[in-house]
Amino acid sequence: MTGNNQKWLDNNTFHHGEFWDILKLVEEKEKKGLKISLCIPTLNEEKTIGKEVLILRSELMERYPLVDEFAVIDSGSTDKTLEVASNFGADVYLASDILPEVGDKRGKGENLWKAIHQLKGDIICYVDADISNIHPRFVYGLVAPLIRRDEVHYVKAFYDRPLNYSSGLRASGGGRVTEILIRPLFSLFYPELTNVVQPLSGEYAARREVLEMIPFPIGYGVETSHLLDLYEKYGLEAFAQTDLDRRVHRNQTTNALGKMSFGILQTFFNRLHAQGKIDQMPDMETFYRRFEVEDNVYNQIAQEVVEEERPPMIEIEGYRNRNN
Amino acid sequence: MTIETMTKDAALESLLKEIPSLIESLRENRETYLTDAVLLGEIPSPTFREKDRVRLALDRFRENGLEDPDIDEFGNASGILPGSEGSSSILVMAHADSVFGPDVRHVLNVGSDYITGPGIADNAIGMAAIVGLPKLLNKLGIRLKDDLLLLINTKSLGVANLEGSRGFLETKQRPIRAGICVEGAEQGRLSYSGLGALRGQINLNLPGNYDWNRFGAAGAISHLTRLVGQIMEIPVPKEPKTKMVFGEIHSGSSFNTSPRSGRLRFEISSEGDDVVDEMETQVNELCEQYSMETGLLVQMEVVAKRKNCGIPFTHPLVKTTRTIMSEAGITPAVDPSTGDLNSIILAGHPGVTLGLTSAENLREANETIKLEPLYSGMAQLITLIRAIDLGLCEL
Repeated sequence: MTGNNQKWLDNNTFHHGEFWDILKLVEEKEKKGLKISLCIPTLNEEKTIGKEVLILRSELMERYPLVDEFAVIDSGSTDKTLEVASNFGADVYLASDILPEVGDKRGKGENLWKAIHQLKGDIICYVDADISNIHPRFVYGLVAPLIRRDEVHYVKAFYDRPLNYSSGLRASGGGRVTEILIRPLFSLFYPELTNVVQPLSGEYAARREVLEMIPFPIGYGVETSHLLDLYEKYGLEAFAQTDLDRRVHRNQTTNALGKMSFGILQTFFNRLHAQGKIDQMPDMETFYRRFEVEDNVYNQIAQEVVEEERPPMIEIEGYRNRNN
Repeated sequence: MTIETMTKDAALESLLKEIPSLIESLRENRETYLTDAVLLGEIPSPTFREKDRVRLALDRFRENGLEDPDIDEFGNASGILPGSEGSSSILVMAHADSVFGPDVRHVLNVGSDYITGPGIADNAIGMAAIVGLPKLLNKLGIRLKDDLLLLINTKSLGVANLEGSRGFLETKQRPIRAGICVEGAEQGRLSYSGLGALRGQINLNLPGNYDWNRFGAAGAISHLTRLVGQIMEIPVPKEPKTKMVFGEIHSGSSFNTSPRSGRLRFEISSEGDDVVDEMETQVNELCEQYSMETGLLVQMEVVAKRKNCGIPFTHPLVKTTRTIMSEAGITPAVDPSTGDLNSIILAGHPGVTLGLTSAENLREANETIKLEPLYSGMAQLITLIRAIDLGLCEL
């Protein structure tokens, strides 16, 4: 490991326990005149959204006013996600109602992107909706480095990731796409970014001024693109990461992870080309193909995965007008 | 008009009138206690290993500005919300221990009108009510004259024999006007007496030289079931009311191996202390007889025993509690307690146990509390505290 990498790890890797004094964080936030928005993107999350809204809102808005605004941005849930979230006091928005003039695309990245327009905060913290062991540390652990260190622009979460099976929790085994796909790719093309322990974690906080400057893939590639684009613009020093201990989440099938990897690769190769790391790009297929076997008959399944991207929010007229 | 000029009846009437608006306020402020119920409930807290959960309760006591937040030698967390006069205290307590061990996944789910998860009813929501009281009273603009002594006690369930609450009350030398034990469920529960009870464990072991050819030879499971049959022959009187429950039997490890040891746990509860003593003697004698006749080692161990205690049905504390419950739309169901209320009454203080809300699947992993009844359940608790504070519950 090079000296620079070690220095970054030493200086920019935190543990949430360092920020236990939330009251102090609130004071520092107010002193700097910062506003913090919390966004949970959802699609059919009625089982976990109630607890997330209840705990985060009451601990980080009522007890300690660290978060100034709390929104659930939904992709059109057909279950009770919106009812439950609203019941516990979150501001609830349909992504399709935000900036309607730019249309509606389906994907988590769309919700994250539209949150930049909808929310007012100087810092936006994104937390996935499927965390069954939600705790305030999932927010204060991420926004604290941004409050404390002006040079940090983007903070990623990392954690132990036991998988939730019907038979109980199974240790580790999470982060398969990270270990099999992302880490080898970063090692090949962006070795400094391998210092980010969990590049695909769905929990991160960032300053508005950097979020509005980068494009957002609407699907699987959004986390990867953030890292690549911000690294290109600001270098590793703009990043920090916080250990949030344990995060219990749903297990995904290998097939689902394959589809996810297919989407991420599209995003990745597009950036390799855009950043001049590879000269020529062939036309890439948009069908992810895999096999299913039934009664000794092999069937190929093809699913279309197109990683559409939203442009940097700053380029959207409605957003610029809002700021004016 | 002050209390000095009001009759007790008028003072109570005034409190009762506030109950509907209190219920609404408690609904609006539900995050104050629901969040703590989830955070506390997700920390495993089996009896004797309540430390982590109690630690969070203590942190909350500190954050909510209680005086003297403390963990005592029994592991109980307590703190004081000072009253304007502070000449005596009102003790409000909830037990921290749960029947679920750390191997059970302690994840709670929150829906619009329910919370589900192991131990939410017994007793995470009860604890959360205690922990949230200072903030709630502050939000509601309620200032008490008495000190409010809040206690999250350990070692309440099973073999613990109320060690936590007994220890606290034996060592905490404060004038206590009355005590309230808070249980998550079942709403309507009203206990003002502690039931005499004995919790026993029968350990049955086959000796090393056990003669498998002897007439009647069998493994531990067969012997335990025969013994249960014999114990069930002991007459259980209807008066005084008495009950015997076989709560746990444990033996064996496979399909086809006769186990050499087994354990049976049971409880005898009765309104008559003599009955408990007599049945204890009878069970002991049966064990001895069984041991002699079979060549097994059969021993009964008393893991917990307590005497009957209580305050009368006509005690003003009970009467006022019933009135408050009725006004809150709660139907009282009188049920003697085998829990921490015994410690309060045996320490010489009047006390009651209340249940906050309705629950399903008690002591199952999918234990569930309903939220809608909880608001009136909380209102009964706060109104009772106020009534005690106004001196409306004294002889």
